[in-house]
Amino acid sequence: MTGKKLHVKIKPLGILDLLSFKNLVPGRKKRIEKAPGTSIDPLPPVNALAGKLHPEIQHLVVDQIKDETGDVRTYRLVPDKEKGTLQPAYFRPGQYLSFTFEVEGATVTRPYSISSTPGEALSGFYEIAVKRYHDGFVSRQIWDHWTEGCAVLSGGPEGFFYHDHLRDRQNVIGIAGGTGITPFRSMAKSILDDDLKINLVIFYGSNKKEEIIYHEELKELQASSGGRIKIIHVLAEEKLENFEHGYITADLLKKYAAPLESSIFVCGPKPLYRHIDRELKGPAIRRKFIRKEDFGEIEDVSSLETYPGGAAGKAFKVLVHRGKEAVEIEADAGESLLVAMERAGLCPPSSCRSGSCGVCRSLLIKGDLFIPEEVDDRRQADKKFGYIHPCIAYPLENLEIVVPRRKIE
Amino acid sequence: MSKDRFQDSYDAVVVGAGNGGLVAAATLAAKGHKTLLLEQHNLPGGFATSFVRGRFEFEPSLHEIADFGSPQNKGGVRKLLEDKIGIDSEWMRVPEAYRLIIPHEKSGRIDATMPFGEAEYISKMEQYVPGSRESVSKFVKLCEEVVHAFSYLGRSRGNPDKKVLTGTYANFLKTAPYTLQEVLDAVKMPYRAQKIITAYWCYLGLGSKYVNFSIFAAMFNRYIAKEAFIPRYRSHEYTTALDLKIRQLGGDIIYNTRVERILVENGRVVGVETSHGDIIKTAYVIANTSPHTVYSRLIHPRSAVPERAWKTCNARKVGFSALVVYLGLDKSPEELGLKEYSYFIYSTPDSNEIYDRFHKLGRPAAQATVCLNNAVPDCSPEGTTILYLTTLFSGEAWSGVSPRDYFQVKNKIAAEMIDEFEKALGVNIEESIEEIAVATPATFARYTGAFNGGIYGYEPVPWDSILPRMMTMNEEKYIKGLDFAGGFAFRGHGYSSSLQSGETAALLTHKDLMEVK
Repeated sequence: MTGKKLHVKIKPLGILDLLSFKNLVPGRKKRIEKAPGTSIDPLPPVNALAGKLHPEIQHLVVDQIKDETGDVRTYRLVPDKEKGTLQPAYFRPGQYLSFTFEVEGATVTRPYSISSTPGEALSGFYEIAVKRYHDGFVSRQIWDHWTEGCAVLSGGPEGFFYHDHLRDRQNVIGIAGGTGITPFRSMAKSILDDDLKINLVIFYGSNKKEEIIYHEELKELQASSGGRIKIIHVLAEEKLENFEHGYITADLLKKYAAPLESSIFVCGPKPLYRHIDRELKGPAIRRKFIRKEDFGEIEDVSSLETYPGGAAGKAFKVLVHRGKEAVEIEADAGESLLVAMERAGLCPPSSCRSGSCGVCRSLLIKGDLFIPEEVDDRRQADKKFGYIHPCIAYPLENLEIVVPRRKIE
Repeated sequence: MSKDRFQDSYDAVVVGAGNGGLVAAATLAAKGHKTLLLEQHNLPGGFATSFVRGRFEFEPSLHEIADFGSPQNKGGVRKLLEDKIGIDSEWMRVPEAYRLIIPHEKSGRIDATMPFGEAEYISKMEQYVPGSRESVSKFVKLCEEVVHAFSYLGRSRGNPDKKVLTGTYANFLKTAPYTLQEVLDAVKMPYRAQKIITAYWCYLGLGSKYVNFSIFAAMFNRYIAKEAFIPRYRSHEYTTALDLKIRQLGGDIIYNTRVERILVENGRVVGVETSHGDIIKTAYVIANTSPHTVYSRLIHPRSAVPERAWKTCNARKVGFSALVVYLGLDKSPEELGLKEYSYFIYSTPDSNEIYDRFHKLGRPAAQATVCLNNAVPDCSPEGTTILYLTTLFSGEAWSGVSPRDYFQVKNKIAAEMIDEFEKALGVNIEESIEEIAVATPATFARYTGAFNGGIYGYEPVPWDSILPRMMTMNEEKYIKGLDFAGGFAFRGHGYSSSLQSGETAALLTHKDLMEVK
């Protein structure tokens, strides 16, 4: 204030101004008195919509099991209405569900891409394909214990591996390896449902013909798509007529599609990504036109070029704080902190298990660990303040961390 | 695992780690009270957070914090966070107040870039609207008086000297019952200057004929006189810094834990119950959410909510929610032709018409768009840009949207906003989109549980603006031991108000706790 009084003449309000000021409180009281005394809707429409789109938990039941190949099965899951899940949540083709399992006393999670379509979710089911791995802790559990009628727990649909017409081209190249075909099955079927308006050329790499998942079904999808869907099978270990042999190369993409005029979506094991990176190297394709799905944990972390020497093969102690309580667990250098905690029966929260969703975010108090840069999707401030994503953090020495509880136990 | 991860009794429990809740918990812990902060999400911040897509980390809701000021000319919020609480966070100055574009103004397109600083602002306005200096100066002075009056009211702790009020702050009293439009007309501001000076109206979410003058004046002054700032590493930086501070001060925080019930006996708070079944005793709860949510979902038993509390809720109107389009672009701001940080693009000059249109699910009538790199140059990798476009919607406008239509509806609106932005500035954005995310009212509801996805608090119309709320604060406290922080508290919405509301709620609770102790 300058000390000089300012006179704002507010006409035609003038002298009545102070009176209307004095009326502010009585006026407010009158307003409140006049309002209805009815209670407020505890679940207004937008919160109800949010709950339908993003349920924290989905209670599902195994409805059907179908053998696809010798070691891949499709599980059809329907909502468990008795437990309160009335309808599978809608999703975008390419999204995944994170399932929670009890295995040998430990609570663990696994993400599986939804292989069915959003339309099928509306009609009441999801499908996922599960490959049985010889040493797969969780996949064996599913194969051995998921029988028809078995109760299954998942979160809502998640992930960003979907086509967006504001960002992506209408011509899409899908590159799949092994079970990485599942999101493309969802996309292809959605094209036929008219829920997805793209042209899709799928390059599907398998070792042998007998390992191709959805072989017949993909053929039918292509046949009835009116040219919107094309499937090219690439077999690494067999030379057969009507199949490409070897690996998915840049030349092969050019032979069947137009990689420079397409958006390229890649889903498969890590080696496939490294291979495709090499094939698509060079300035010709902008980063925005190549999208890769997260595909889970790193299998052999010490084989990465950036892995520091010295720690491989060792075991460390990790002091884990949860609320007021602290537990000391053992962690091997080759396993992520998330797996070490799960093995110790701590059941920390997790979802994507690939470094990106941030659900397992925890605070590192002491010690050094290895986080591969290519999967380090942490927020910048989390790096500044020492937060980590345990699903992609590997101990290099004894550690002390603070871990949150799960949202639902 | 043992259930004893935290204590079963606290001096105070704060519900929700949004802006208000974090500051409330930090303030209480600093005063030595045993404090527990409960948050349903796995992160602090509420709307004040960040998220990562590809190589971009986005700012979900903040455009700029008012009343922040430079280190040499500190505003209230900087003093609160740096001096009183003492957090480790880096802040970047927003380069200009805003660029306002109204393409379809009858008297000719308005395209005005306004600077911070009162004198600079007035001079720039004179350039755009010759002859506006006198009325604009008067308006700016008046806004200054409003802010001084509010700080006097704060200092007087509810017992202002009437002589001082009617003498020193007469214009404050005179204007307090009126709308922004009534005051603009009273100072005889030229039409085009009115359009330029009211650009910030969408931060309050009420057209000029509806919004109370005092609250607009306070906001306007706090931006123009103090300059605006934003955190270097998105809002997640300072909210994480607040989290660390609370725990350093001895406070406890539990994430992934939703408060399901606030337990009330004989009209006073006795505890809370969580989604994990924890029962925690406390006599004081600060709720960082709306009275709508607290009364309809949390108070237990529901019969402890008096009829007057329902009437108060029903008399007020929950403010807007938003739709935000977050874009990670693979070109630099220079390549894209984006020179400013903050753009307001209004399809029609009439804020009241835009306000009405925000109640329907149509092509957005207005947007507030931020090019983050123009305040934080390295917020994204070299050669890229972060741009986010915000429009407002009432929650009701989305009530007919089914999950099946949802993605199409939001992408259609996103496309319309990008189109509007491109046309207004004569630039091409869509061609460079590397990452896109679209948040809707349902997204805001998902992460925070906000009532109908609202990002704003109650609409600050004259009868429900700061002053009448202050004057009736005690008699509208319907449950003993329960206070509110955040955008629904008496200060109103916006980052600076929400942060400061946490301090106010904590100090009131502190006062009660000291009387008991």
